[in-house]
Amino acid sequence: MSVLAAHITKHFGAYCALDDVCLNVGTGKLVALLGPSGSGKTTLLRIIAGLEHADAGCVALHGVDVTRTPAGKRRVGFVFQHYALFRHMTVNENVAFGLEVRSRSERLSKPEIEDRVRSLLKRVQLEDFGARFPSQLSGGQQQRVALARALAVEPKVLLLDEPFGALDARVRKDLRRWLRHFHDEIGLTTVFVTHDQEEALEIADEVVVMNDTRIEQVGTPQEVYDRPATPFVYRFLGNVNRLGLPWRGYEPESSLATPDGPGAIFVRPHDLTINRYSVGLVGEAGLIRNIHAAGARVSLACERSFDAAPVDVELSRAEFDTLKIRVGDPVLLRIRRNKTLREEYAI
Amino acid sequence: MAAIPSRHLARRASGSATTDPLWARLALTALALAFVALFLVLPLAAVFTEALRRGLGAYFAALAEPDAFAALRLTILAAAIAVPANLVFGIAAAWAVAKFSFRGKSVLLTLIDLPFAVSPVISGLIYVLLFGLQGWFGPCLAAGNHPWLGAWIDARDIQIVFAVPGIVLATVFVTFPFVARELIPLMQSQGTDEEYAAISLGAGGWQVFRRVTLPNIRWGLFYGVILCNARAMGEFGAVSIVSGHIRGETNTLPLHVEILYNEYNYVAAFAVASLLALLALATLVLKALVERRHSRALAGANAG
Repeated sequence: MSVLAAHITKHFGAYCALDDVCLNVGTGKLVALLGPSGSGKTTLLRIIAGLEHADAGCVALHGVDVTRTPAGKRRVGFVFQHYALFRHMTVNENVAFGLEVRSRSERLSKPEIEDRVRSLLKRVQLEDFGARFPSQLSGGQQQRVALARALAVEPKVLLLDEPFGALDARVRKDLRRWLRHFHDEIGLTTVFVTHDQEEALEIADEVVVMNDTRIEQVGTPQEVYDRPATPFVYRFLGNVNRLGLPWRGYEPESSLATPDGPGAIFVRPHDLTINRYSVGLVGEAGLIRNIHAAGARVSLACERSFDAAPVDVELSRAEFDTLKIRVGDPVLLRIRRNKTLREEYAI
Repeated sequence: MAAIPSRHLARRASGSATTDPLWARLALTALALAFVALFLVLPLAAVFTEALRRGLGAYFAALAEPDAFAALRLTILAAAIAVPANLVFGIAAAWAVAKFSFRGKSVLLTLIDLPFAVSPVISGLIYVLLFGLQGWFGPCLAAGNHPWLGAWIDARDIQIVFAVPGIVLATVFVTFPFVARELIPLMQSQGTDEEYAAISLGAGGWQVFRRVTLPNIRWGLFYGVILCNARAMGEFGAVSIVSGHIRGETNTLPLHVEILYNEYNYVAAFAVASLLALLALATLVLKALVERRHSRALAGANAG
């Protein structure tokens, strides 16, 4: 089942939430909509589900235009950020809800519904919790009940809004691996919204990076991380240094100059190397300001002598140990690998 | 440390830092109890003592009087119409205000509060102004001025002010905010996520309301209805203006109490008043039961 959203525009009063957004999700994919808050990602998800209506544009599920189809008839499973479990119903009743509200002709018999509920709860590993109320469950359990409830109506597409947002760090990590595994098992086309880049990069087949009402880039996690299309994507996915040109020892392939100046390049902290300062070596001069050595990798906060700009460098512990540098030492910074991006000038 | 007197240390150990001295606690408790006794318990006790001053026989004789019985019937009738009406209006208004955003929402909220803000006497006068013989709709209601409507009204002898319809209208107006005011904050705090979840699972509008919204508000709703009912039975000001005080016909219980009192018929006045007080007590007991049931349901949901 594929999801297609074409030229979606949405305003809330004077506020523009989505501006001519196009999204195409392939059948069976697990896709992350990644962006900061206010980028329009949740609105896009709700429009696909039919919980909001776009001012312009259309939505198609598996080639069928559903722009005017009400949410309940789209066969879309939606899991809300705070789960939205029915608090006055038990877990069993929650999961059965979608089956029981069907019209009499489509409704399954009572034993069939009970069977379906039982197998769904088993699938999300909650078979012993059917008689409990949502308030008696932990966040991770509630999340899985919400998932089972959404799956009960046999949706063609599964949409998850910030599925791990309300959970603590530990549960979050476990649950996102579980979701990836779960997705591989059932093979349902799934779109989830997140603002956590680590989450998106870890489990998604494809990442859609959104910013300020638009899509910035679509690609596999590796593509968007290694070859960001815009400065925003570069900054949003992992740490990055913006180094103003000229930089000693670096020649851009083409001029990056903008009306504001000679331009800049973007380099990730682990794509920079450090040498002790010595005459004859080529590199940009700087000072070590801070060393953060707790962990597998060592982060160094440097200051570029040319314009006093901060530059972050990340080294492996072995590299750091052979260097024998301390705070305050003069160093030479060199670029291992970079991505040249022409910046859009500030208006 | 050694410089601190041991007496001081002992005091620290016995009384916690957040507890006031004993005399202050006793004085404040006594003050609060005295206030409650003076303003709440004493008047209630006075009603029953006055009512029973001439013994049980006189008490029941006063209650069995046809006018008192008619007043009781009218009070229950007015409440029986006003409470269900405001139940429906209140749910509709709260649902609209809490779950949707639309133009004029703040105006609607202000209108809902209007009966609380306006003195009941003034609301009564408004109805006289609207439906009285000299009022805006008076000529419409007067027979003969309007060919077919007049005849229709004449045939049925419909009168609004100084009659039962006026009393019901005034009661509905005065008790309008209770249910809506009770539900709006509750529904707002619950948000719309559960409704949206139900919609995405294929439920229709009525199913969403009946299976999701209504169960979530049922205790708040019940509480609102109890308060609404208490006020509907006890309303005096607005009803007094529109009633006309016709004995046995347009007197509610509170009005009947006033008439008896003005006629120096104290025993009867207090006997009827005790009836109202009993209705109020029954309402409060019901309310307490609802609250206990509600908190037990919550506790049950939270416990393992």
